[in-house]
Amino acid sequence: MKRKLRRSVVCWLVLSPLIVLVLFPYAVMVFTALKPTSEVMSYPPRWLPRHWSFASFPAMWEQADLGTAIMNSVVISCGSVCLALCVAVPAAYAVARLQFRLKPRYRLFLLVTQMLPPVLLILGLFRTAAAIPFGDGSLVNTRLGVILIYGAFQIAFSVWMLSAYFTAIPRDIEEAAWIDGCGRVRAVWHIFLPLAVPAIAVCALVAFVAGWNEYVVALTMLRDRDKQTVTLQVVNLVAGRYSVEWNQVMAATSVATLPVAVVFAALQRFLVKGLTLGAVK
Amino acid sequence: MVSAGQASEQGQPAALPRILPPFLRPARHGLPPLLLVLPSLLLATAIVVYPFFVIVRLSLSNVSPFGQLRGFVGWANYAAVLADPIFYGALWRTLIWTAAVVGGTVLISMPVALVLQQEFYGRAIARIVIMLPWALSLAMAAILWEWSFNADYGMINGVLRNLGLSSGAIHWMARADTAFPVEIGVGILVSIPFTATIFQGGLSSMPTEIYEAARVDGASGVQQFRYLTLPLLKPFIQIAIVLNVIYVFNSFPIIWVMTHGGPDNSTHILVTYAYELAFGLGRPGPAAAISVLMLAIVLAFTMVYLHLQREPT
Amino acid sequence: MARQTTGFGRRAVLGGAAALPMLRPTWASAAETVRFVVAEYSNATGPYFEQMAQEFHQANPGIDVKIEVVNWNVLLQTLQTDISGGTAPDLSIIGTRWLLDFVKDGVAEPMDTYMTPDFKQRFVPIFLQPGSIGGKIYGLPIAASARAMFYNKAIMTRAGFPNGPTTWDDVVAAARKIKGTGSYGFGLQGKEIETDVYWYYALWSYGGELVNSQGKAAFDGPAGVQALTLYKMLVEQGLTESGVTSYNREDLQNLFKQGRLGMVITAPFLIGQIAKESPNLQYGIVPVPRGTTQSTYAVTDSIVMLKSSRVKQAAFKFLEFIFSKQPRVLFNKNEGFLPTTRADAEDPYFADDPRLKVFIDLMPHAHFAPVIAGWEDVAQDVINSLQSVYLGNTQPEAALKRAAGQADQVL
Repeated sequence: MKRKLRRSVVCWLVLSPLIVLVLFPYAVMVFTALKPTSEVMSYPPRWLPRHWSFASFPAMWEQADLGTAIMNSVVISCGSVCLALCVAVPAAYAVARLQFRLKPRYRLFLLVTQMLPPVLLILGLFRTAAAIPFGDGSLVNTRLGVILIYGAFQIAFSVWMLSAYFTAIPRDIEEAAWIDGCGRVRAVWHIFLPLAVPAIAVCALVAFVAGWNEYVVALTMLRDRDKQTVTLQVVNLVAGRYSVEWNQVMAATSVATLPVAVVFAALQRFLVKGLTLGAVK
Repeated sequence: MVSAGQASEQGQPAALPRILPPFLRPARHGLPPLLLVLPSLLLATAIVVYPFFVIVRLSLSNVSPFGQLRGFVGWANYAAVLADPIFYGALWRTLIWTAAVVGGTVLISMPVALVLQQEFYGRAIARIVIMLPWALSLAMAAILWEWSFNADYGMINGVLRNLGLSSGAIHWMARADTAFPVEIGVGILVSIPFTATIFQGGLSSMPTEIYEAARVDGASGVQQFRYLTLPLLKPFIQIAIVLNVIYVFNSFPIIWVMTHGGPDNSTHILVTYAYELAFGLGRPGPAAAISVLMLAIVLAFTMVYLHLQREPT
Repeated sequence: MARQTTGFGRRAVLGGAAALPMLRPTWASAAETVRFVVAEYSNATGPYFEQMAQEFHQANPGIDVKIEVVNWNVLLQTLQTDISGGTAPDLSIIGTRWLLDFVKDGVAEPMDTYMTPDFKQRFVPIFLQPGSIGGKIYGLPIAASARAMFYNKAIMTRAGFPNGPTTWDDVVAAARKIKGTGSYGFGLQGKEIETDVYWYYALWSYGGELVNSQGKAAFDGPAGVQALTLYKMLVEQGLTESGVTSYNREDLQNLFKQGRLGMVITAPFLIGQIAKESPNLQYGIVPVPRGTTQSTYAVTDSIVMLKSSRVKQAAFKFLEFIFSKQPRVLFNKNEGFLPTTRADAEDPYFADDPRLKVFIDLMPHAHFAPVIAGWEDVAQDVINSLQSVYLGNTQPEAALKRAAGQADQVL
C-alpha cells in the first residue's frame, strides 16, 4: 500500500510540469471568460477576476449564434464519423483479413492521401464541390459537402488504425462459425463486429474530434452564418476585428471545447484499451 | 502473453483452404476484397486525389489572382519558386520545425507513456488531463497561446513577473528567435496526447513474462528499458514518427495565427508561405508549385525512412 | 481573356442542372436573389445589412437580398475561391486598394451604365475618385476614413504639449519626456495589416510618394529614407512602445485605451471604442504630424458588382437603396466612418461633431491609396522591409531599395 503511495507521488511529480503546461491555456481560458470586459486587459495581468462575471457567456452565445453553431458542428462531426466508419470498416476488414494483390499499393495510396493537407487543396476542393450539383446549387455552402470532405480525409487514418486492430482479433471464433455453416456475412455481423467495437469506438472518437476542431475547410465551404460550425464562429470572433472582446472569445472557446473534452473523458478508457488489442504493422 | 491474433497471423492457414468454402479462400482475382475497398477508393479519389490534380494543373499554368487559368506555362512557376530566397528560408525552417516538434514530442511522450503505465492513485485523472490538448482545436489553441504570450496582457509574462523572474514585459512574438521556439513548444504540446496514446498502446501489448525473467536475471530498470522495451516498441515509435512528420510538416494554424510567418518572413514554413502566396499575394501558381514540392518531400522522406527501417527478416 | 473551365464534364453537368428550372411551373414568378458579400467591420455590420436587406425587400418584393458576412482577414481568400470556383457573389465589399486587380482580371463590372446623373451627384466627388479606373466607375464608396493622431491629454500635458504635437519634432520631444515615466511615447505599429500605411503617414509628410508617374516604386527616394530613418530613431531610442514588431493595430489601440500610450495615429472608429471601453480617458485629436508638409491617409472601401452576376439590374437597385440618406447615416454612425454622400455629410450628427470635424477638415490634404495592381503584394514587401529595420537588421536605405525592387516586379 505504501509502495503504491510512494509510487503515486513520484509519478505525479514527474508528470507535473506537463500537466501544468496542459492546464495553463485552459485556466487562462476559463478565468478570462469570467472577467468583465473592463478587467480583461488589466495591466499588469492578473489570474483571477476582481469581479466574477458570467456576462460574457450569454453575450457571446447570441453574438456568435452558438446554439446553431453547436448544432452544425454536431451534425457535421457525426455525419463525417458515420461516413468514415461506413467506408473504412469494410476496407479495414479487407486489409486485415483478406488477401488481394493490390493490397500494398492500396496501403501506400492511403498513406499518400494523408500527406496532402486540406489547407493547400482548398482551391481544388472548392472547384470540385462547386461542380457537383446539389439542392438548388452545388455542394458549396452545404454541410453535406463538408461531411464528404471530412470523411474522405479521415479514411486513411481510420483504415490504418482499424486494420491494425482487426488483425489482432482472433479468427478462430469466426472461422468456427463458418465451418458450422453460418453465412460469412452473418458471422461478421454477429461475431466479428462486437469484438471490434472498442476499436471502432476509438476510430469514431478520433474522427469526431478532427471534424469538430477543423477550421480551414469549414471556412472555405460554409458561407451562411446559420450553417457555420463552432470552431468557425469562435475564430471569427478574433480574426480581423478592429476590437476583440477577449472574454467573449474565451467563453466561446470554453463552450466549444467542453463537449469534446467530456466525450474524451468518457471514452478515454477505450482509447488505451482498444490499443491493447493491436500490434502495429 | 502474445495475443492470439498475432499467432494466427504468422501461421498462414495452409490447412484451411480445403475447409473454407471456395469464395472465402484467398482469392486469386480478389473480387470481394476489392468490393470492400472500393468505396474508400472512390471517396478518397474524388475528394483528395482530384483536387490534387487541380493543384498540379494550377502549378503548371499562369494563374490570375482570382484563380483563373490563363494558359499553360510549363515549369515557370517551379522555376520562380526555386529562385525565391524566401522559399529556401521557409524550407530550411520547415525542416527544423518538423525535426524539433517530432523529436521533442517523441522524447517527451515516451516517459509520459511509461509513467501512465504504472499503477498509481489518480491515474485515470492524469490520463484525461494529458489528453486535453487533443480536445482543443489547433486554431483555438494557437489563439489561446498567442493571447497568453501577449507582452502586455498575457499570463506568461504575468506569471514570470509574479515569480520575480522578469521585471519588464518580454515581447515574445516580436522576433523570430523567441517566437519560433515558442511555436515549436506549442507544436510539441499539442502532439503529445496522440503520440503518448500510441506508446501506451504499445506498452500495454507487451508480454510481461520477459520482464519477470529479466528481473530474475538481475537486469536493472534501465537495462530492461533499453534491451527489452525499446526494441519491442520500435514499430510504435516508427509509426509515431511517420505520422507525426506528416502532420507537423503540413501544420498550418499554429504559425499562421501566432506570427503569420513574420516578422519579415522569419517564421514562415512551407505551408504558411504557400498559403500567403495563394491568398495574400495573389499568386496561386507558385503556391501550387510549392504544394506539389511539399508532397514530394514528405513522400521522399517516408519512403526512405520506411525503407531504412525495414528489418532484414 | 479566355477563361478555361476546369473539371471535366462540368459544363455538361451544369447544363443539365440548368435545364431543370425550366420544368418548374413557378419559374417565371421566382424572386431574383442578389448575393451580397459583406466585410465585417464590427458586431453591428451583419445586423445592419440584414436590416437593410429586409427593408429593401419590403419595398421590392420581387428581389431577395442574401447577405453573407465575411471576416476581413479571409475576405480576399473567400472572394478568390468563389471567383475561381465559378460561384462569385453579385455584389461585394472590397478594399478599394484591391480594385485594380479585380478590373485587370475582368471580374468587376463597370457601373456607369446603371448610374443616372442624379445618382452620381449623391456622392462627395473626392470619394468617387478611387473607385474609378480608366474613366469608368467600378467601385462605389461604402466606407471612408481618414487618419489622425489621437493623444492622451494627461501624458502629453506632462510632456509639455497640452494640445498635442504639430510636427515630428514635437513628437520626438514629447516622447523623450515621456520615456521612463512608465508610459510609452509614440505608438508605432510593426505587425500585420496596415503596418505599411503607418509608415506612409511619415513618408507623405515629407513629400514622398508611393509610386511615380510611370507607376514604379518611388518610396525609396529621399523622403522615404528620411521618414524611415525617423522611425528607426524612434524605435532605437525607446521613444515608442518596446517590441514594436509584436504590435498590430489592435494592440496599439488597446495600449492607448489603457492610458499607457501618449500618441497613436488611427481612424475615427477609435472614438467609438474609447467611448464604450474607456469613457474616462481624456484625449484629443490632431492632424498627422507635419514633416515638410501636411498630409494624411484617406482610405475607402468599395462595393463592386461582379461581372458574372446574372441579376445586375436588381443588384444595382439595392445599391441605390443603401446609398440613400437614412441607410448611410445609420451605417456611419454604427461603424464610425466618414460620410461619403453629400446627404449624410449634411446630417447634423456629422456636421456638428467636433471630433469628426478634425477628420473631415483633413480631407483636402488627403492621400488616397494609389491605384496599383497587387497592392497586398507590394504592402507585404514594404512591411517586410520595415520590420527588418525596426528589428535593427537592416539600414533604412538598403531596406527600402530591396522593397522597391520587389515591388517593381509586381507593379
